[in-house]
Amino acid sequence: MFDFVQMLVSGIASGSAYALMGLAMVIIYKTSKIPNFAQGEMALAPSFFAYMLIDSYHLPFYIACILTFGFSVFLGCMIEIIVLRKAQKSNVLGMIIITIGLEMILLGFVSWKFGAEPKSMPFPISPYDSIPMKDLIKGTDLIIGTLELFTFTIALILMIIIFLFFKFTKFGIAMKATQQNQVIARAMGINTRRIQMMTWAISSFVGCIAGLLVSSITLHPYMMWDPMLKGFSAAVLGGMASLPGSIIGAYIIGILESLFGGYISIEFKSVVSLMIIVVVLCIKPSGLFARHYIKKV
Amino acid sequence: MNKFKLFLLIIVFLFGLINIAGAEEGVTDTEIHIGQWSPQTGPAAPWGAVARGTGVFFQLINEEGGIEGRKIVYHMFDDSYNPAKTKAGVKQLQESVGIFAWAAGIGSATGLAVKEYLMSKNIPWVGPCSGSTQWTNPPQKYLFSIYPLYATEAKALCKYAVETLAKKKIGIIYQNDEYGKNGLIGATEELKAHGLELTISIPLDVETSDIKPHVLQARKSEAEAILLWVSPFHAVRIVGTGKMMKFSTQWMTSSTCSDFPLMYSLSGGLWEGVIAATFSEFALSDVPDSPLMLKYKEAFKKFASKDERWSVFFWAGFGMVEPMIEAIKKCGKDLTRENFVKQMEGIKDFQGVAGKNITFKPFDEKDPSSRQGLNSVFLVQCIKDGGTKKLTDWMEFK
Repeated sequence: MFDFVQMLVSGIASGSAYALMGLAMVIIYKTSKIPNFAQGEMALAPSFFAYMLIDSYHLPFYIACILTFGFSVFLGCMIEIIVLRKAQKSNVLGMIIITIGLEMILLGFVSWKFGAEPKSMPFPISPYDSIPMKDLIKGTDLIIGTLELFTFTIALILMIIIFLFFKFTKFGIAMKATQQNQVIARAMGINTRRIQMMTWAISSFVGCIAGLLVSSITLHPYMMWDPMLKGFSAAVLGGMASLPGSIIGAYIIGILESLFGGYISIEFKSVVSLMIIVVVLCIKPSGLFARHYIKKV
Repeated sequence: MNKFKLFLLIIVFLFGLINIAGAEEGVTDTEIHIGQWSPQTGPAAPWGAVARGTGVFFQLINEEGGIEGRKIVYHMFDDSYNPAKTKAGVKQLQESVGIFAWAAGIGSATGLAVKEYLMSKNIPWVGPCSGSTQWTNPPQKYLFSIYPLYATEAKALCKYAVETLAKKKIGIIYQNDEYGKNGLIGATEELKAHGLELTISIPLDVETSDIKPHVLQARKSEAEAILLWVSPFHAVRIVGTGKMMKFSTQWMTSSTCSDFPLMYSLSGGLWEGVIAATFSEFALSDVPDSPLMLKYKEAFKKFASKDERWSVFFWAGFGMVEPMIEAIKKCGKDLTRENFVKQMEGIKDFQGVAGKNITFKPFDEKDPSSRQGLNSVFLVQCIKDGGTKKLTDWMEFK
């Protein structure tokens, strides 16, 4: 029983990081219908920016963090204005190729500027400290990582903020309108260009938070590959257009991976998420929680 | 065209043919072309320092006048640790530039991708940078391995754990590929010799980032010592997560994770106490550098880029090709592949900055040791600030 609970806790902890990446992807997909394959590198670049501020300019972590958030918003806006806005006439496949190109450019730039050798991010919370939960379950010594708890808390806060933003703010409702029908939204006086730009900025900001949390373990140019893959899997599983879906999908993947590794096969733990996706998409192509719209022509 | 001009033309043409037939591929009167692949990008990029180290070593040789008036032209390419890229790059360089011999080359899977190609063309390859048994079992005439087998390293660690540390319950977390499985084989064999079995063996997928389930399993096994046959990234995370999970054990690892300053820094000091197998005598805090190592350090300062770090991987790039340079020197003016192989076979008790008494023998297809130059390792322990403490003398396994 204790093993099960410990694995469950570990799964939830992993799921929190996947949820942040999934959220970032879904935010963009909701308004532009583009699966953004550059999401991982859009989180990577700000993480290295923060490292540069701390290492080269000796700024305190918290100030570097605030500047990095600003940088991530700027990066998201610039990508939308300089690249995606110009390529609006491309079809979805063309846009996907563009995001893959962006991914390579950002990765190449980071590798060139900072080198391939791994670095240590002076994060205020050690990824290897833990909070013992002695006797939380009678007679057991359940362990929760401090950083894991922090990641879970941040993910939870962000989810609530994003939910409230889309539900109750004028801007959030305008974003939903743009997602449903850009032409009508524009006719209703919504500046859809600005909405698109802000979507990329918000997504970049959420990704940046995920990147900073991941970088606390090891900072290197390929650190976002796995979280990005799992975040994308979570978004597909939950439904690419559903914010709560991507979050639930992320926790499903995190928990199932952990339990699969513990009870069935640790060797195939990493591919279990992809297996689940294949099965779910065969049964429910739009994902677990997204509504399936049929376009009538 | 009169008959005399035609005669001259034929003579010139024939002399040209003779000259082409006599020249060895990749060798001219002034140049020797040597190639190497390595990951300069991708998850295995930290190991790419080896190939950059080789580059600095060749620059040093060229600065000293080259070998018999010939300068080394070094062709290094980035394969991102991707066997498909290795194969494409090696074929492209071999068939366009014409490489005389290949030096080192990082990785087991990447090396395996080109082994057949190089051997089928009788192209020498010296010092694959991996301890796989695939290089010498069966032995190949043109392939000379220097790196001690990973199985040898695992045996040395298990022997030390059982005989010196009196550990009875030993486990392993291994990368689920050629590298990891060689460690698993070595550990299993050595423990069997002591009448023991592995308490637990946990495979780890190279792409995975969540290693808590692995550590949970290791903790459940109550192993007193755990061998880590994984990448440096995973090794750091396992040791860190072990600390988080309050799993107290003796961590032991292969030479691929023996860059203690780097591992210490990445783990925030948690690497202290980890035991590793190594074969570079000069990676020690309390032993002064040899004159040869000091010379290499000077070359590093002179030729390496300013961002480069003097590390065990970097100087491994010198050590893996020292015997190759020795054989080229012994060839003198007569630098052909056959003569080069003959000179390599004559290398006996060679002492450079890596290994001890590197020795090859005339080719014997039934004797892997004819192409395995180094069979010894020794054990070191990470101390404060990433320093190195020597634990054992050289341990030989054949």
